[in-house]
Amino acid sequence: MTFWLNSVSVGIVLGTPLAYAALGELIAERAGVMNLGVEGMMLMGAVVGFIVTVRTQNAFLGMAGAVVAGAALASMHAVMTVGLRVNQIVMGLTLTILGAGLSAYLGAGYAGRRPGGEINAIPIPVLSQLPVVGSVLFNHDVFVYALPFIAIGIWLLIYRTRFGLWLRAAGEQPGAADASGVPVFLIRYLAVMVGGGFAGLAGAYFSVVYTRSWAEGMTGGRGWIAIALVIFGTWNPIVVLVGALIFGFVDGLNFQLQSVGVPVSSHLLAMMPYVFTLVVLTITWTRLRRRRVGMPEALGLPYEREAR
Amino acid sequence: MSVSIHLERRLNARLAMRIAVPVAAVAAGLVAGGVILALGGHDPIDAYNSMWEGSLGSSDGIQATLIKACPLVLTGLAVATALRVGLWNIGGEGQFIIGATAATGVGLYATSLPGPLVLPGMILAGCLAGATWATIAAIPRALIGLNEIIVTLFLNYIAILLMDHLIFGPWADPKAFGFAYSRALPDAAMLPVIPGSYVHIGIVIAVLVAVTCWWLMERTPWGFSVRVAGGNARTAEYLGLHISRRMVIVLALSGAIAGLAGAIELTGVTNRLQDGISVNYGYSGVLIAFLARGRLLGVVVSALLFATLVVGSYALQTTGVAQPIATIIQALIIVFLLAGDAALAFRVHITRAPRALEPVAAGVRS
Repeated sequence: MTFWLNSVSVGIVLGTPLAYAALGELIAERAGVMNLGVEGMMLMGAVVGFIVTVRTQNAFLGMAGAVVAGAALASMHAVMTVGLRVNQIVMGLTLTILGAGLSAYLGAGYAGRRPGGEINAIPIPVLSQLPVVGSVLFNHDVFVYALPFIAIGIWLLIYRTRFGLWLRAAGEQPGAADASGVPVFLIRYLAVMVGGGFAGLAGAYFSVVYTRSWAEGMTGGRGWIAIALVIFGTWNPIVVLVGALIFGFVDGLNFQLQSVGVPVSSHLLAMMPYVFTLVVLTITWTRLRRRRVGMPEALGLPYEREAR
Repeated sequence: MSVSIHLERRLNARLAMRIAVPVAAVAAGLVAGGVILALGGHDPIDAYNSMWEGSLGSSDGIQATLIKACPLVLTGLAVATALRVGLWNIGGEGQFIIGATAATGVGLYATSLPGPLVLPGMILAGCLAGATWATIAAIPRALIGLNEIIVTLFLNYIAILLMDHLIFGPWADPKAFGFAYSRALPDAAMLPVIPGSYVHIGIVIAVLVAVTCWWLMERTPWGFSVRVAGGNARTAEYLGLHISRRMVIVLALSGAIAGLAGAIELTGVTNRLQDGISVNYGYSGVLIAFLARGRLLGVVVSALLFATLVVGSYALQTTGVAQPIATIIQALIIVFLLAGDAALAFRVHITRAPRALEPVAAGVRS
């Protein structure tokens, strides 16, 4: 029992950065821009968040710095893909390489240091005293608590506001949207940068909140998982959040199994989240497609007003 | 009065521009990299001098560049081939690694193979493993339309973990003392070198594969049907072409090429399976194929340029420049090349015109 409770608790923590990164990517993709540079933006967020925290001894300032760093790197993607119409897949890969290089360069003197500022778990009064679920669900940091509200907020933004309508229009039918007065380019720029901000926050969650250290390439491919989660969640923020938590749980299970000494190679255990996601994705895909929800029609396509 | 910027698609750029723009892009990337070098306390001129010496400026450098170009030509081809049927194979990295892994397995355990068959057996195993790995992504893509980018990407991580499991576990070299590599392969498993050099014959194989792919895709009816299937699904359906079958075959071919790259790198360079046997070759292949605009023979040229850059940045590191800086310079050059590509594709118009006189379609601004 403790084993499973621990797994859930660890899973929530591991799923949180994935959820932030995936929700950010969802916003960009809803506007029609695929950004495969999530891994690079997360690394930039992780290193900048860590450096700002060390310098100011304030972890919240660090997280804010990470948001700015992620958005700054994303703005490069936006200029290249929305402005210059460079292929989104190729630019995203380049962004990942650039982010990995830049973060390693900036973080060179910070490996092995402690952040100084901390973001601690805040047990929620009364609720955290509940038997069984109390310590698992209600003893986390503020970024975990904020997550459901952010996911619901993004859902409301997308489906219940004029801006959300514009966002979807830019991602589905940019030509028609442009013709009816929607500022397609502005929205795409904004969406990509907001997405980058989320990725930056996700990266800093790893360095500042979770491991409380910086190491080169520390996000270890989780940026790619975030991109997969968007597809997995059919571009719906609520489903994406649930998917991220499930993924975090499977990832956490791996650590838990290792700590109880299961006689299976740690490398094979580490495959679990990937295999699990692939299997679930394959099984559910046909049904998801039949419901016709999901992929924005113009995803991946640069909008060329002149070619309308 | 309002200023309006708009981009007009250029139908064909002049040859002079097609050469001048990439050259200017590389130069701009080097200048930007120079600023970063200077900030890091290095003399940019010295640094670039050693980069040149280490890549194209010396006989050793040229040989190192050719060795590095071999896997890059092949992974670039893998991506360019898949693009023919409209698929993005981002899994070259995993197919490369699984190819090298399978080849290692044959080299270590197929001890009953007669000597001259060891090398062909390993290379064949590499191709088959790469093809299998790509097919895992191709089948759900062809049957239910599951995004191939994500599946090929995930398979990269699974391949790396599988390799790690083997080189830390069953295949570990007992003399490795915790370093991540397998036992060394027998001598019969080494690729021969080109006489008079230390360049293994992999680069010759890679160019032959490029020519074969080009012939297959450009000069055979089947290659044309693949392009139709990848270019316009509706036309292909009217013609009665099986799109999904072509997707699976072409992606398997693409994976086989990447797997071949892994087997060649193993038998030509490392001689054992080791962590980091692929230095992002699979991902580089995507950039190489794109910079070649998906042209199969163009891949050879862009892979050679890319190899020059990579080998040059190794030379940079031997002069004390940190590896991240070399990575940043590489990425910056690619960014400028991509921007240059856009500059070739579009003509920029900046017009100052009163709103009322603009064509109707431009009346909505962003």
